[in-house]
Amino acid sequence: MATEYVKYVDVTKCDGCRACMVACKNWNDLPAEPQDFLGTMQSHANVTADTWNVLTFVEHENSKGNLDYLFRHSSCFHCTDAACEKVCPENAISYTDKGMVVVDQDTCVGCGYCVQNCPFDVIQLKNYKDENGKEYRKAHKCTMCTDRLDEGLQPACVTTCHTGAMEFGEKDDVIRKAEKRVNEIKERYPNAMVYNPKGVGGTHTIYVLAEKPSVYGLPENPKVPTSAVLWKDYAQPIGKAMVGGVAMALAGAFVANKFFDKKNGGHEDNGGGNHE
Amino acid sequence: MSKTQTSQVQVKRFSKAFVVAHAINGIAFIGLYITALPMYTEFFDWLYPLLGGPEGARLAHRVLAVAFILPTFIFLIFDPKGFMNWMKELVTWKKRDLQFFSEFVKELFGFKSKHVKQTFFNAGEKINSILQIVCAILLIASGFTMWFPDVFPTALVQWGYFLHNVGFGLGFAVVLGHIYLSVIHKHSRPGFTGVITGKVPAEWAKSHYTEWYEEEVKKGNFPDLDDPKNKKNKGA
Amino acid sequence: MTNHWNDLQHTDVCMIIGANPAENHPISFRWLLKARERGGKIISVDPRFTRSSSQADIYSPLRSGTDIAFIGGMIHYAIENNLFHKEYVAKYTNASFIVKESFKFNDGLFSGFDEGTSSYDKTQWAFETDKDGNPLKDEKLENPRSVFQLMKKHYSRYDADTVSTVTGAPKDDYVKICELFCSTGQVGKAGTIMYAMGTTQHTVGTQNVRSYAMLQLLLGNIGLPGGGVNALRGESNVQGSTDFALLWGDLPGYLGAPKAIPEHATLKAFLEKETPKSGYWINKPKFYVSLLKAWYGPNATKNNEFAYQMLPKGNKNYSHISLFNAMYKGELEGAFLFGQNPVVGGPNAGKEKESLSNLKWMVAVDLWETETSSFWQKEAGSDPSKIATEVFLLPASASFEKEGSITNSSRWMQYRWKAIDSRGEAKADLEIIHVLATKIKALYKNENTPAAQPIKALHWEYGHGDHPDIDIVCKEINGYDYNTGKQVVGFGALMDDGSTCSGNWIYSGFYPEEGNNRSKARDSKNTDGGTNFLNWSYAWPANRRILYNRASADPSGKPWSSERAVISWDGAQKKWVGNDIPDFVPTKAPTDEGGMNPFIMLGDGVGGMYAPTLNDGPFPEHYEPFESPIPNVFSSVEMNPTVKVWDGEFNKKGNNKDFPIVATTYRVSEHWQSGSMTRNQEWLSELVPHMYVEMSEELAKEKGIKNKDKIVVSSARGDVTAYAMVTKRFKPYKLKGGMIHHIGMPWHFGYKGYATGDTANRLTPHIGDANTMIPEYKAFLCNVRRAD
Repeated sequence: MATEYVKYVDVTKCDGCRACMVACKNWNDLPAEPQDFLGTMQSHANVTADTWNVLTFVEHENSKGNLDYLFRHSSCFHCTDAACEKVCPENAISYTDKGMVVVDQDTCVGCGYCVQNCPFDVIQLKNYKDENGKEYRKAHKCTMCTDRLDEGLQPACVTTCHTGAMEFGEKDDVIRKAEKRVNEIKERYPNAMVYNPKGVGGTHTIYVLAEKPSVYGLPENPKVPTSAVLWKDYAQPIGKAMVGGVAMALAGAFVANKFFDKKNGGHEDNGGGNHE
Repeated sequence: MSKTQTSQVQVKRFSKAFVVAHAINGIAFIGLYITALPMYTEFFDWLYPLLGGPEGARLAHRVLAVAFILPTFIFLIFDPKGFMNWMKELVTWKKRDLQFFSEFVKELFGFKSKHVKQTFFNAGEKINSILQIVCAILLIASGFTMWFPDVFPTALVQWGYFLHNVGFGLGFAVVLGHIYLSVIHKHSRPGFTGVITGKVPAEWAKSHYTEWYEEEVKKGNFPDLDDPKNKKNKGA
Repeated sequence: MTNHWNDLQHTDVCMIIGANPAENHPISFRWLLKARERGGKIISVDPRFTRSSSQADIYSPLRSGTDIAFIGGMIHYAIENNLFHKEYVAKYTNASFIVKESFKFNDGLFSGFDEGTSSYDKTQWAFETDKDGNPLKDEKLENPRSVFQLMKKHYSRYDADTVSTVTGAPKDDYVKICELFCSTGQVGKAGTIMYAMGTTQHTVGTQNVRSYAMLQLLLGNIGLPGGGVNALRGESNVQGSTDFALLWGDLPGYLGAPKAIPEHATLKAFLEKETPKSGYWINKPKFYVSLLKAWYGPNATKNNEFAYQMLPKGNKNYSHISLFNAMYKGELEGAFLFGQNPVVGGPNAGKEKESLSNLKWMVAVDLWETETSSFWQKEAGSDPSKIATEVFLLPASASFEKEGSITNSSRWMQYRWKAIDSRGEAKADLEIIHVLATKIKALYKNENTPAAQPIKALHWEYGHGDHPDIDIVCKEINGYDYNTGKQVVGFGALMDDGSTCSGNWIYSGFYPEEGNNRSKARDSKNTDGGTNFLNWSYAWPANRRILYNRASADPSGKPWSSERAVISWDGAQKKWVGNDIPDFVPTKAPTDEGGMNPFIMLGDGVGGMYAPTLNDGPFPEHYEPFESPIPNVFSSVEMNPTVKVWDGEFNKKGNNKDFPIVATTYRVSEHWQSGSMTRNQEWLSELVPHMYVEMSEELAKEKGIKNKDKIVVSSARGDVTAYAMVTKRFKPYKLKGGMIHHIGMPWHFGYKGYATGDTANRLTPHIGDANTMIPEYKAFLCNVRRAD
């Protein structure tokens, strides 16, 4: 693979302003989807097919007994081993040379397998109606603004972030930066950590979290679902091989039968039977 | 080699209920397979326009899926005796069943083999039934989780994809063999009429399911083919 | 601001009080985080834990309306623990001045109070002077009548325990904050105070800001990089607005407007009365005459007092509150509302809405139809058949559709260019005013009544046709020689003899010569001034970025500390040098007269630790808000005694039995002001679609309210239905007198747009600050109950 790039999110510098949410909608021409009141400043319970990035708000009483008001820019992780890419039956999901995971909208058939297998509940389906009134679905998520990356720009959210909580850079640089940052803030945030889960091979959206992942509602140890691995890496190829094998065996049986049966003149049976 | 009169004698093997159930099962299975093919492999993408696009294929698949669930109930409700008989056969395994297998392989490839006396269903058919039942259960159960993911826990839905794959992969392999033997293979294809009319050639039935045939003769249901009265022309 | 946004990165401690910059001035946080990276600390003081508090090193709750108690306690702490910058205080402030014996303070009142007029005789607060009128001093700060000792005595009542019971700030956190912030009193350290409407929108708003100024003078933080008293303006050009006299008592450049009193009967008398005898304001006549010349042009001559008689002379309080009171009584015929939405943003908004229907005519100038421009509609809850007001809506251009400058909180005048055309018939404000002026002048052209004179005298030559030439306007604001037409280089060149004109003296110098409009300067490299970016835009006055920067150097002209240097005296070159324009005569040596007086705008040239010109006292004193949950702990005077209180229906007062809960209002990042712009934007409305009220878990439990329940908040003036946001970020306040609950809510909502909701200001009182009349939006009483 060419140089891998990563979106770096340092939640400790985030002030929850949500300019990144608007920048994303603006760049990608996404419609607004106002929700019912959720009881906090959080606008959406989860990312959706039309809202690719949601700021989560968590009030957390930390280990020192003080209140932390934690914000996290949540969007697609762009996993190195992306479960969505793995399970897509149409190969509509693929990796770019920078490491991003993208969905080819023309190829997607809206089956929803990706939605069910994402360990982070990111990718979602959207319902459409074409001009004939026929309904269809497509899967959508953060694209990491690959169209901007191709032009030498950075993702819209990163460009907009005014505190420098988000940056975009080469993977190794970002990982180093993240680890350095965690050391800097250990005193203020003893549970601070780099969130770059190994279970999905590491991701291309890497976080410096102020608290343990579960405080943010993130899985502690996300991984590509075992069922997906067994399915795509084993059952499917074995199944195909098996069918191929059976077909060949049967073809062989047909040929052999024709050949040997003639030779042998049929098999013994009780009443001679009605064999041709 | 002309057909003799004895070769025209047929006996009833399967009830109408079974025939209907089998037909629905078969058509549904093949239909399900075809409607899933373009998603399963790009090689069959040309099927999409014929199926009404991905949504059309999805809709057809779901209609056929419901159809696929029916045969068990049709068989059970309209021919309970036949159904129980089938069930009994599936759990009855004797030495002759194992012997059948070794003879079957030889026979399949055209080598000299001998018949081992079988009851209503031979061991091969029993294996076929068991495998098809297992596959059907896997397919139907996982089909539900795939169709209604919001109703089930995510883990169940995720394992559903895997099991569905196992179900149709294995099922299809078994179906290939089943169709080969019932349509193509010389010594077993005479039984094909059984799933169309319910009747099979008596001679063929006698030589392949000897124990069953003899019992039916004892009961007076089937003609005794050893009775010279029934032999008109014993051809060479 | 005395300093500026970029300068924040140099602070050692930033105290955020009465403001929430992370939400409402988000870009400022880029600079605060930079300060953090250099070891700086952030303190957040707020009734609730905000998004700013999440970035702070220490947070303390503060009951809304108790800033003076909080800061008074810090002043006390700084003095008691010797943390103040002694030499700075002695030399650069009036702390050393001796106050007349007639100045007294007792039980909440200063001497000279007249109950009948609710005002003070400020002469009682004057300094002791020598025979030349110069104040007597004690630079050792020991004289018991020195400002310093009087201040010490005044704030000795503000010990940490008392402060804690009044403000609700837990004592430990409070002392930590005192320690941390007062550590900036050391030479080499600088602390900054960032504040906004949470500070100003109180009946003691002015004194709140005064207390910050006092604290900062005490700690020697004024004039330093990373220091200052920094107001975060609530609108991107409100600084520009106030500079151009959108406050009723001002003329552009903070020149006082004349009143209908004998002392102002003539220009000579006016200037005589209103021009200080020392300090830079001695030049007021030059600015005043130049302004008159700009307005009345050839119609302003030496012989007619430069058309001074054409200026309207006020005889009333013309504040927003007063105007709406008058409107309510049917005393106003018409009103222009330029981008104003009082039906959402006004105090006691429900009553203000009612008042509008007493107008004969109303002109609203807005981008969208607002709650105000449609106040008469059924949707607004009105009965159109009962309203006789003729309402005009003039569509206005948005900021990208017009050209012109805006001035930010840092006083940086930044020019903006038009990016796209307006839609339909929308026009820029400049165009609207221009068309109005030209048409009105034309209407009065042939009339000779007294009413027609000022209109005819108005000199209006900004180009022909409907579109004024903004460059002409710019030149006039800067000012030019009236005879030659040559632009002046700065306000120092303005004259009082009619030879110059200038539309606003404080901006004079931004356009010093043809082709050089410095507000258009966009040099982002730090070639001049380091982080002061002297070649980016133009900061009034005279492009000075850090005001009072003379105070960053000691009396001899050497910076107090090289780490916090701005300018220093270069003896060889005989001028002040550094990375900012000196806020001082550039060639005045420290040894010259006034060479050690950094506070050039004040008569005595030193910072006002003691301010005898304000209506409510020379020292800030804690008073409770108009509606208060507990009696005043500091004295028996409950509310600021000099606040104007109107009688009647407009300002019903709630008591703390019916309304035991303290309420405040605030803003969120995603919406802006009365929401007329943001609630018409889908992506912003999506982020905050619903009106909500934040309350503590304890209060919710008491009232049987669960998170997301619909609730009703009521005050003596109205009620509001909203969603309950039950949060850990509000906690009950432990005050003297028991546990008090505190809630807060955004005030952005109205019935128009994508995101609609009830208007919080239906709850707020119709009463204002004693000096500025700014409404007390931020502290009032209410009650809360479930809606079902």
